[in-house]
Amino acid sequence: MSGMSNTPHVPMIPTGEKTSWNAMINSRNFDNINIDSNAILLDVLRDSAGMLGVKRGCDLGTCGCCAVLIDGVPKLSCLTLAAETKGKEITTVEGLADGAHLHPIQKTFSECGGSQCGFCTPGFLVVISALLHENNNPNDKEIKDAIEGNLCRCTGYQQIIESVHAAADILNSNEGVEDNTIAKVDPHPGIDRVQE
Amino acid sequence: MKTPPFKLFQPKTIEEAISISSNFIENNEQFDWIAGGTDLLPNYKWHLNTKPNVISLALIEDLFHLDSTHIGAMVRLHDLANFADAHPIIKKAAASIASVLIRQSGTVGGNIALDTRCFWYNQAEEWRRSIEWCHKCDCDTSADCRVIANQNELCVATYQADLAPSLMVLNAQIHLCGPDGSRDMPLSEFFELDGIKRNVLKKGEIITHLTISDDANSWEGDYQKLSLRESWDFPEAGVAAAWRYSSQSPSEGLELRIATTALESIPRLHNNITNEALINKSTIDEIAAKLRLDVKPVNNTTFPPNYRKKMVEVLCKKALDGMKGELT
Repeated sequence: MSGMSNTPHVPMIPTGEKTSWNAMINSRNFDNINIDSNAILLDVLRDSAGMLGVKRGCDLGTCGCCAVLIDGVPKLSCLTLAAETKGKEITTVEGLADGAHLHPIQKTFSECGGSQCGFCTPGFLVVISALLHENNNPNDKEIKDAIEGNLCRCTGYQQIIESVHAAADILNSNEGVEDNTIAKVDPHPGIDRVQE
Repeated sequence: MKTPPFKLFQPKTIEEAISISSNFIENNEQFDWIAGGTDLLPNYKWHLNTKPNVISLALIEDLFHLDSTHIGAMVRLHDLANFADAHPIIKKAAASIASVLIRQSGTVGGNIALDTRCFWYNQAEEWRRSIEWCHKCDCDTSADCRVIANQNELCVATYQADLAPSLMVLNAQIHLCGPDGSRDMPLSEFFELDGIKRNVLKKGEIITHLTISDDANSWEGDYQKLSLRESWDFPEAGVAAAWRYSSQSPSEGLELRIATTALESIPRLHNNITNEALINKSTIDEIAAKLRLDVKPVNNTTFPPNYRKKMVEVLCKKALDGMKGELT
């Protein structure tokens, strides 16, 4: 045992050189984040910025779970070097809602069954929000082309396509999405409430 | 999966990038180039031929230029697929690559210089250990090639990129820049028949851009590919064809080029077949049958070689469908 104490600590996975990184993530400024020079954006978003909505799926660019918007363009965070996104504007699924008002695609995903187990959902929402930003009335082919890089093993995609059409209807109606923090039904019917 | 440690360099000009690479060569240090990262990073995550230094080309503005005759190496595949002035064959090939999310990051230069792929190579380290390593990656283990048994001289990993054959049939030139200066050559001469060497790029040399001649618009053509799924997958076979003819004498003035990809360690122009076909006035079916015999796929991708050869014939007929009437 005495010999072991003299053995220098060798981490199982050695890290690279450190560098300072900053970005605007979901309209919040993240400054002076210390990252490895070889850091992958997915790791930085999850481990340093706390954006756990960005999911690690295949980690090889196949599934689209980790999609984020970089300067408005949907990209795979698992195949993006963090150093190359320094100073850019990054939007994850946490940044889609406007305060208590969900993004239309978030609302319709929940209503139309676009999400089942939910693991792939953040990637879909981010990619579809970029599609709807460019084209607020996409047809089926345009939707399928936009989500070709996202895999869902639950829904069979039909509900996702329906969700996009329903979200497009909300966008075109200009009605917006209601505040989801307002209770829609009385949770304790029959009980008189104290008037404030 | 964690990427192995490496030091990232981000030069802003081609000169700066070449000077960094020259320094590494002088000091006998190993390094890689990274463009979009959609090929290199998955390989690094699987610990395939990793290097301690990586030079990124992402900040070099000169490599992003795109017009109808000039395609910069760092042009994103998505931008090329949606570029109005790009030749239709190039647009079709670019749009067929992987998925839209990969195309938003992947670049033209990266696709041309794509690492060759093999069922025994593109695997995790533990997997490769279980088969006693792979010749292409773990060379210092004296591993034998798993595809062609009992030898470790030749690597037969398959070149599975889509853009090269489309650019080859349009006679594209590739332009390189390195410590020894700049040079250019026809794209068909860029590749070398070895899954490890892959191409003529010397150490420290990069692809700067590709040029297409002004008369490319007089060529019609098509690109057809076979893949397991429409989205994301690499081609299992790909055929690009281009033809043009003078309006005065269609049969006499006909020119034809055919190139294939994903069938060998390099993409290849099949001038021997097309020249003979024009002399003998062969039919499309005859050309397709000869192309099937001319390609030599090996058993290292998802589909078996015989199926890929059969499908080359089908893809060739489909690619030449637009020139019916010139050849029957």
